[in-house]
Amino acid sequence: MTSCPRAEDLYLYLEGELGPYHARKLEEHVECCEACREALEERRLLHEAFTSLPPFEVPGGFARSVMDNLPEPEVRRHGWLAPLVAAVAALSVGLAGFNLFTGTSISDVLVALNGFFGQAVAQAAPLAIKTFKLGGLILKIIRDLLTLGLNGLATFSRVLGPGGIALAIGLTALLAVLAFFGARRFLHQGEGS
Amino acid sequence: MTEDRQLVSRALKGDRRAYEMIVRKYEQPLTSYLSRMTGERETALDFAQEVFLKAYCSLASYRPAFKFSTWLFKIASNHMIDHWRKKKLPTVSIDQPFEEEDGPMTPQIADPGPSVVRKFELAEIREKIERALEAVPETLRELFVLRHVNEFSYEEIAEIKSLPVGTVKNRVFQAKELLRRRMEAS
Repeated sequence: MTSCPRAEDLYLYLEGELGPYHARKLEEHVECCEACREALEERRLLHEAFTSLPPFEVPGGFARSVMDNLPEPEVRRHGWLAPLVAAVAALSVGLAGFNLFTGTSISDVLVALNGFFGQAVAQAAPLAIKTFKLGGLILKIIRDLLTLGLNGLATFSRVLGPGGIALAIGLTALLAVLAFFGARRFLHQGEGS
Repeated sequence: MTEDRQLVSRALKGDRRAYEMIVRKYEQPLTSYLSRMTGERETALDFAQEVFLKAYCSLASYRPAFKFSTWLFKIASNHMIDHWRKKKLPTVSIDQPFEEEDGPMTPQIADPGPSVVRKFELAEIREKIERALEAVPETLRELFVLRHVNEFSYEEIAEIKSLPVGTVKNRVFQAKELLRRRMEAS
């Protein structure tokens, strides 16, 4: 007969935590050891009581009172503040570094920067206005051409009727095919010569 | 578990109803734990409220790789530790014998003693356990409650308490044997 199991193993066995090999050994031992059988039965009763202790009775409005005491979610009111501070800090560090390495005073650098940006804006602004005007003109021309083409097609279809439109589509397809093969032949002759 | 993660994700986006669902799901297990740890109903409810508030404020730090329940109970356990520190409760080292009314008692108990609990009915045993539990040192009591009241696995308790699994198993066993001894003595 194997030696008596530890009390800890009796609990682990009851919890299913002992592992199959040790569990079988314990079962075999308990069958022939009355003291351990009694000890196991006692722990079984205790284990049953441990695992069935009554739950705490929570009052009905508890969750509501928890929610009422929670802070409002944080709203990011100043989302622009952090990038602005970072930009100002970066500019200050840059200016200080420039001053340190070149010996130029910060006020001179600021004046030079002001002149540079002023000049850039003075040159870029007329160019941007001209580009904008040209873009508008091109769009107007395209719109007029499309309107003209659609009006022409509408007039054409009214004059011809359904039969005439079918004939026109057929003739256009035929001409496209002929033009395709004609172009291929023309290109082959070009390659041969 | 996935449901918890979804609720947390919604709560993080400002959905308060999602957090209310979390509160409703965990109010009972959390108060069951806290009531056994404090021994007072009203204190347990106050602590539960504080734990839910702490959890809400640090929800962004929750990592979905872990179970939400273990994360929440870790907060609760730390809350209890803070409470004990503030109150400066006399703590009993589990390595040292501690005094009982009928003489010193060593927590490490191994040999199966004579049967005494058989005479009690199950309900009576539960009542005796609840009473005896109050006298069990908090380091052992907490692990016993997490295991048998909250039904966490030994591995989950080890995660909550940042202890090795073997230590958790041993301390839960010590708590049970202490309870058994106290019930025998009563």
